Amino acid sequence: MPNINLSNIQKNYGGGSPNAVENLNLEIGDGEFMCLLGPSGCGKTTTLRMISGLEHPTGGKITIGDRVVDSVSDGIFVPPEKRELGLVFQSYALWPHLSIENNVDFGLRLRKIPRAERESRTTEVMEKMGIEKYRKRYPSELSGGQQQRVALARMLAVNPGVLLLDEPLSNLDARLRLEMRAELKRIHEEFNTTIVFVTHDQWEAMTLATKIGVMSDGELQQLGTPDEIYGAPANRFVAEFVGSPPINIIQLADDEAGGLSLWAMQFLTRRYAKIDSLGSLGIRPETVHVAAHEIDVPDDSFKARSRVTGVLPTGGSWIIELEVAGRKIFSVTSELPSVHAGDEVYFWVRPGDLHLFDIDGNRAPQADLVLTEVGLVK
Amino acid sequence: MSNGLLEREKSEPRPEPKGIEPQVGAGKRFAYKLKIALREPTTIVGILAAILFTYLIIVPIITMLSDAMMVQYGDERRADQNFGELTLYYLHRVFASPLSVDVFWRPLGNTLSIAIGAIFFALIIGGTMAWLLSRTNLWGRKWFATALIVPYMLPAWTFALAWTNLFKNRKVGGQAGWLEALGFEPPDWLSYGQIPITIVLALHYAPFVILLFGNALRRFDSQLEDSARVLGARRFLVTWRVVLPLMKPSLVSATILVFAKCLGEFGVAYVLGMPVQYEVLATSLYRNISSRQTGVAAVLAGAIILIGVISLLIDARLVKEGKKFVTVGSKGSMNRLSQLGKWRLPATIGAGLVFFVSVVLPLGTLFLSTIMRFPGVFEASNFTLDFWIGQNLDTVALRQGILFTPEFWAAAWNTLWIVGLAAVTSGILGLLVGYVVVRTPVKFVGSFLRQVTFFPYLVPGIAFAVAYLSLFAVQRGPVPALYGTAAILVLAFIAEQMPYASRAGISAMMQLGKDPEEAAQVAGAGWWKRMTRVVIPIQKGSLTTGVLLPFISGVKGLSLVVILAVPGTNVLTTYSLQLVDYGYDQAANAAVLMVAAIAFFGTLLGQKLTKSNLAEGLGG
Repeated sequence: MPNINLSNIQKNYGGGSPNAVENLNLEIGDGEFMCLLGPSGCGKTTTLRMISGLEHPTGGKITIGDRVVDSVSDGIFVPPEKRELGLVFQSYALWPHLSIENNVDFGLRLRKIPRAERESRTTEVMEKMGIEKYRKRYPSELSGGQQQRVALARMLAVNPGVLLLDEPLSNLDARLRLEMRAELKRIHEEFNTTIVFVTHDQWEAMTLATKIGVMSDGELQQLGTPDEIYGAPANRFVAEFVGSPPINIIQLADDEAGGLSLWAMQFLTRRYAKIDSLGSLGIRPETVHVAAHEIDVPDDSFKARSRVTGVLPTGGSWIIELEVAGRKIFSVTSELPSVHAGDEVYFWVRPGDLHLFDIDGNRAPQADLVLTEVGLVK
Repeated sequence: MSNGLLEREKSEPRPEPKGIEPQVGAGKRFAYKLKIALREPTTIVGILAAILFTYLIIVPIITMLSDAMMVQYGDERRADQNFGELTLYYLHRVFASPLSVDVFWRPLGNTLSIAIGAIFFALIIGGTMAWLLSRTNLWGRKWFATALIVPYMLPAWTFALAWTNLFKNRKVGGQAGWLEALGFEPPDWLSYGQIPITIVLALHYAPFVILLFGNALRRFDSQLEDSARVLGARRFLVTWRVVLPLMKPSLVSATILVFAKCLGEFGVAYVLGMPVQYEVLATSLYRNISSRQTGVAAVLAGAIILIGVISLLIDARLVKEGKKFVTVGSKGSMNRLSQLGKWRLPATIGAGLVFFVSVVLPLGTLFLSTIMRFPGVFEASNFTLDFWIGQNLDTVALRQGILFTPEFWAAAWNTLWIVGLAAVTSGILGLLVGYVVVRTPVKFVGSFLRQVTFFPYLVPGIAFAVAYLSLFAVQRGPVPALYGTAAILVLAFIAEQMPYASRAGISAMMQLGKDPEEAAQVAGAGWWKRMTRVVIPIQKGSLTTGVLLPFISGVKGLSLVVILAVPGTNVLTTYSLQLVDYGYDQAANAAVLMVAAIAFFGTLLGQKLTKSNLAEGLGG
């Protein structure tokens, strides 16, 4: 199974538009399940299409395995039909004039595989995808989830080393999506392919990927495992894009932000050496704890008095809406909260749960944060 | 795991600064672009098509316009200049000389008054019918919805022939008209000229209004009316203040498109206007071509094109502005039918009457006239099939029924193969244009193709024919003089039909989207395989439409062929026009009925094949 390498890839659609992809370097390892995650228009689909050869970079080089498939400066271009990839479209793009069977064996026919082998291979793939019973039907007679399976089977039939998926689950309803997610994970293991998966849905990315590349405005923001992306976001964008409800951000040294900002500054001044370089503070909702009395708040935690403005059940967990000096802070808890709207409470956060960002929005070195006040005094 | 995860390598300098890369790099870069642009035949095909259409569409018109500005052969003395010299003689002659009244100004006035009258009545008839069909509980709505469109599927001058059959008087020879046979001699104003032309055109274009206006009405959200009613507006006020303003764009569009069509209308004015020397621009143009006034004809054709272009530009602008407030029913929109109550029966009878006058009466008249010796006499002995299958008849020429006349079959065969070949070609070219427009990475090739193939839409057929005459009357370079051959007809038909063909092709390719083809590409299919295995099989249906529509409109078309056809390349329409000229009314009617039958059943067949409403496609 080949690995894919993108180096200094740039894409501009012309007409004075900004670069759709800007100086992108990405290494997708052999057998990896890589998710490109980002909001719409961030360049993730463009990137996928450039790997497939359907879109052409305006600069840079793409290598699949040991074959250079795109190199603008060397004038090398390998057309999509010669790249031996699989690509599943968001719209599935099944051929409406062909039966399911013929959709699946299309690639095998092109490769002039002998009839017997072709049939056994087609049947095998269709069985694996659970669409064998529909083989004589036409795409328009199948449901969305079934069409999705056909689209996958069509690509898997030719056993591509790399499978590219462009938002393949976004047209499915919630239950089917769950099912297909499991299916994709199984395919990844069973067919032993490298998968590149484009999505704007963070849960999809989190649950499926072995590695996630977060993109925004044509640039790669962070590349890492799902836990790294969530636990140590490289910048404000990643922190705010991943996580639901979204991370609480407290702007530091911001007069507008009022009391909360001041308290945060006070708290950090005693613990952080390069306080002037800091721009903002991020707190994941599930690390925000609520205590009815100050006595219940552990020492050394970042805390503030706040008022509960709402308790919203979300099924299995609760979102507690807090207001501190005119600012909203969200807390998520999996235990039935004992507080009610209107209560005056304390919220507190362990210093280790704070995400610090510098003035440019990049992650500040968390190691510089001293966890206890005592440590600094020494 | 902190900043190290960022792969952006901000600090690392790029190999070369932007823009000032060494020459070798730039060359390779260009090679890369070229490789992508030319990797697939799409761009090449596009460039070839662009050249072809430039030659078939732009060059003839330019040649014609230059003819209008240069002294033509035979005019040296009158223009007092040498052959081929630049001259304003023709412009002067058409617009400012004493002759200009007869050549241009009076025909222009006639054209305008006919167009305005036709638009007025077409809007009243078509508008009422459209409302009845799309918003009320009229009896037999579905049936009427198709039946009332029929006049538009037939050639316009079918109605003109029917009119003369009914109303003609002693002014022209041939058989007597029905009214005359019944003992009533119709006055000239009822038989020929402005009034009959206006009525015939109004009846012919009313279906066009039904299609355009009816479509807009159907999409109109009843809740908009309801809101006004709830606020206390009475029914009439709602119609006046809410419905009509919202319908304005479609009304304006219908008006201007009917106007543009009247501008190039030749057959009706020729049949009904000639006997009283009532001329419109198209017939004036025809007369000048017949008398070899090439320069004058070129000026006239240019003037017609100009008026056509201006009116369609106005339409484009008005519709663009109008689009802003067109309400297309969104979620929860509804189309509630008005209950006609006690008016239901009268309204249905009214619709039936329109159908009778615009379809049954003309076709019935034409058909009866072909099986009766004398019009209006309903006796068994008066009925005959001689005009269809007779032998050794007692006439000067045409001594046998039309079905035994070789010229008829020659014309029918010509119609089928000339129009058929042109239709198949333009259908395929249309799909190809659609493919290139949607797919080519070289954008300007696509947009050029889109515009050049649309251009003939702005040019009335008769003017286009003059342009073809200018280009192909003499040998030019390697291209021999095509006038008198079938080739000129085929080429002109192709060019004239390209707007419809390419529009069909573009929208079909747009609808298909890129995905199915790209899926095939990733699966390993090269260009040719993708075309033959994916694109064309999927587009079978629209290709059928793209061939059938041009075929029907070509079969019934007259204004293009009347200029370009010669006796050897007669098609059914020109053949029947000649029969009219010679006074063989029954034979002419029979030929026209055949044209009408081909057009009508062709449309029905297309509807069956594509399971769509082809009549709407004819609306363009």
